[in-house]
Amino acid sequence: MTYLIPLIPLLPLAGFVVTGLLGRQMGRESHQIAVWAVVASWLVAMVVAFAALAHGFGIGDGAGITLWNWIPALGFKAEMGFYVDALTGCLLIVVTTIGMLVHIYSIGYMAHDPGKWRFFAYLNLFMFSMLLLVLADNFLLVFAGWELVGLCSYLLIGFWYPRRSAAEAAKKAFLVNRVGDMGFALAIMAIWTQLGTLNMQAVFKLVEGGGLSSTWVAVVALLLFCGAVGKSAQFPLHVWLPDAMEGPTPVSALIHAATMVNAGVYLVARCNPIFGAAPGVMVVVAAIGIFTAILAASIAFTQTDIKRVLAYSTLSQLGYMFASLGVGAWTAAIFHLMSHGFFKGLLFLGSGSVIHAVGDEQDMRKMGGLARKIPITYVTMLIGSVAIAGVPPLAGFFSKDEILGGAFKSGFLWVWAIGFVVAGMTAFYMFRLMGMTFWGPSHVDPEVEQHIHESPLTMTRPLILLALPAVFLGLLIGYPPESGLLHQWLAPVFEATIAAGGRTEAAYSFLGIDGGLAIVTTLLVVTAIVAAWRLFGVDMPAIGLHAEPRPDRVREVSARRGLDFLYRGSSAKWWFDDLNNLLFVVWGGRLAGAVWWFDRVVIDGTVNGIGTVTTQAGLGLRRVQTGHVQNYALGIAIGLIAMAIGYFLIAVR
Amino acid sequence: MSGSLDSYLVLSGLLFAIGTFGFLARRNAISMLMSIELMINAVNLTVVAFGAFVPALNTHAAVIALLVIAVAAAEATIGLALVMAIYRNRKTPLVDEYDSMSQ
Amino acid sequence: MPIGDSIPLIGIRWDDVLFVALAATLLVSALLVVTLRDIIRCGLALIVSFASLAGIYVLLGNPLVAATQVLVYIGAISVLVLFAIMLTQTKNAPARLVFQTQTLAAAVAAAVIAVVITVAVLATTWPSAGQRLWTSTTDVAHLLFRDYVLPFEVVSVLLTAAVIGGVYLARREISGDGENR
Repeated sequence: MTYLIPLIPLLPLAGFVVTGLLGRQMGRESHQIAVWAVVASWLVAMVVAFAALAHGFGIGDGAGITLWNWIPALGFKAEMGFYVDALTGCLLIVVTTIGMLVHIYSIGYMAHDPGKWRFFAYLNLFMFSMLLLVLADNFLLVFAGWELVGLCSYLLIGFWYPRRSAAEAAKKAFLVNRVGDMGFALAIMAIWTQLGTLNMQAVFKLVEGGGLSSTWVAVVALLLFCGAVGKSAQFPLHVWLPDAMEGPTPVSALIHAATMVNAGVYLVARCNPIFGAAPGVMVVVAAIGIFTAILAASIAFTQTDIKRVLAYSTLSQLGYMFASLGVGAWTAAIFHLMSHGFFKGLLFLGSGSVIHAVGDEQDMRKMGGLARKIPITYVTMLIGSVAIAGVPPLAGFFSKDEILGGAFKSGFLWVWAIGFVVAGMTAFYMFRLMGMTFWGPSHVDPEVEQHIHESPLTMTRPLILLALPAVFLGLLIGYPPESGLLHQWLAPVFEATIAAGGRTEAAYSFLGIDGGLAIVTTLLVVTAIVAAWRLFGVDMPAIGLHAEPRPDRVREVSARRGLDFLYRGSSAKWWFDDLNNLLFVVWGGRLAGAVWWFDRVVIDGTVNGIGTVTTQAGLGLRRVQTGHVQNYALGIAIGLIAMAIGYFLIAVR
Repeated sequence: MSGSLDSYLVLSGLLFAIGTFGFLARRNAISMLMSIELMINAVNLTVVAFGAFVPALNTHAAVIALLVIAVAAAEATIGLALVMAIYRNRKTPLVDEYDSMSQ
Repeated sequence: MPIGDSIPLIGIRWDDVLFVALAATLLVSALLVVTLRDIIRCGLALIVSFASLAGIYVLLGNPLVAATQVLVYIGAISVLVLFAIMLTQTKNAPARLVFQTQTLAAAVAAAVIAVVITVAVLATTWPSAGQRLWTSTTDVAHLLFRDYVLPFEVVSVLLTAAVIGGVYLARREISGDGENR
């Protein structure tokens, strides 16, 4: 089976090479090779993933294969090797399944784009990079994949590069990611200098054996987390993800919701022996995660761009995952990663279908009443929204409940409290999105309205296929809570760290604390949904529900209570972009200006001064070169005399 | 006086100094060449004087002096031909007007 | 009747008288070469200095070199110089054009050289035999055509090259477009 592993990333790579080289010539059929390569990769990945899950591969006893010695340097070694354990298996399922569905969806979505072949080539390159990241068995290879997905993200955000905003968003994403990647690179260097190996399993063994001092563990963990913060767009590096929505919607679904942004979560989970040995860093992880969750959720309240709402929602859910990792609920984080991957992918693809239907309009204020015009999209997105809101028994309920329960039971009450609030906020803003888009009266441009149509089958089928796991995934692998299938799968990966943490948790009890928490959360969620329903309109004639939308109520309430600043803050994204602009563009620009001045006046001045002195000296000395032969002869004579006299003075004496 | 090597060498030195002065001071190219001939003669006088007073150098000095005279003849031929060529181009025998190398 | 080694009554050796006379002639004529305004007179003074130098060679017991000096320097080079003067000097150059602007420096340099050489000569103890040796022309001929035959041949080649080069350089360009090269 190990020989199948390299096939998983190599198939998309082959697809990328062929599509990249020949795509332009293939014209309308340029998607064929790319899509089939990913489908084949998916099949292989399923075999590998379920083999890994069924055998319970954990740390140190997974299936590994080393292809060749990648960088054989004196004393330094990095191998081109892959490693599959249960965690990799889970990621493989998410990445390849969603990747495949997004590829199929893109056939319809990008059908009329002249750059279609380029798009599919990039998508395949992304699949290769992401799978390389997930499968790599050493840190350097992970880093290679890490940078490659960053590159693909850059290429795909800026896919419509003639649009200035797209080009700038791509640059922003790339630059912000560099900040985090710097941390990751430093972490790799620290690991190499301290442990002398980059192979992950070897590093984990050494760390568990106490091969790293507690200070160094904390430093390495913090640096790794720094990389994760960049890639997973956590506070304070979260600013790039909303702008990344400038890319085509399938890209948003695949890269910026379901896979690449999960890389940070994967990295922290993968390095659980390191993080487990640094409890202080775990608190930082939890704090950053939960802060990002509530920050992003509050911004999502007031955004009007449908994709931006989803982007902030993604930030918020990623924050949940980090909070979960931070409190030690490793499995819950991966659970949420998987379920979120599916329902957020679904929501993004659904929003793409909506945007497609209303003629490339993304502003929700110019939508409304679309429910009956694009029913398949509506139903699937409704499923996704219910799932992300956390209504039982959909996928989001189980995963979110485990996170909150884990935080509560492991003593992180503040994490639980914030997470609880965020759960209600999530339900509210998701149904605000549904209301503004699908319910109430139509605000669509009358000219466009006539052409509203349901998307083609290649686009709706992936929606339906993604709706299935959004509904059933939780029941399938998450039930019964805290001892479901996923827990059995992932136990080999996390059990050592959990045991070393020394935290004993009470078993899950339906009629005890866990059940109580679930009921409280569910009540809050349902309340929030109903509130959003009332405010943004409900129109379900089948069951006789109808209410007029009153979107301005939000503003009225906040203004009346003197809380207007909250509303303004939220719609201004809490001024983070302005802060960055001030810090790095304005002040940074001034600093750069000062440095430039210094460079120009002092450094260039010195260099030019030397040049000027030389030139002037040359101009002065030029007079010596008269061009008259007898002047030179006199020089020779004088030199001769000087030498003779010198000889007398020194030698004869 | 005539039986002392020193007097011939001092004579040679004075002749050489006169030749040097002429080479450095005269403006005319042919005058410079004549000064060179004086200096060569001074050197040749030295060679012959050593041959006359140092037994081991006796015949060798005479041979060397003859060779020097031959080479000097060749030098004079080429030097004067060069002066002629330059004179035809620049229409002047004055060395300080050959100034195409100066700014 | 053979004359004695020294002048009767005064007791000064004839050799010394001859040396002083020749040396004085040599230096005076050499000074005239480098100072006279009229370049033709310079050339004539040059012949005088060559001739007195030939006399000194005789005094040094080396008639072969003296004869060569007369043949080559007076017979060939001086004539060549006079020819060159005739070809280049169309009129008398004005007085101030005779000397360079650096004349004073040149005089000082020449004086210093003279002093340095004199000091060096007088301060050195030469491996001198103390008397002049007669140079046998036969010995010179043997040495020249046995040990020095290669330099001799090289010099002959050099002279040939010099003749060809001189002809080439001095030749007036007639052929082609008539331009002077």
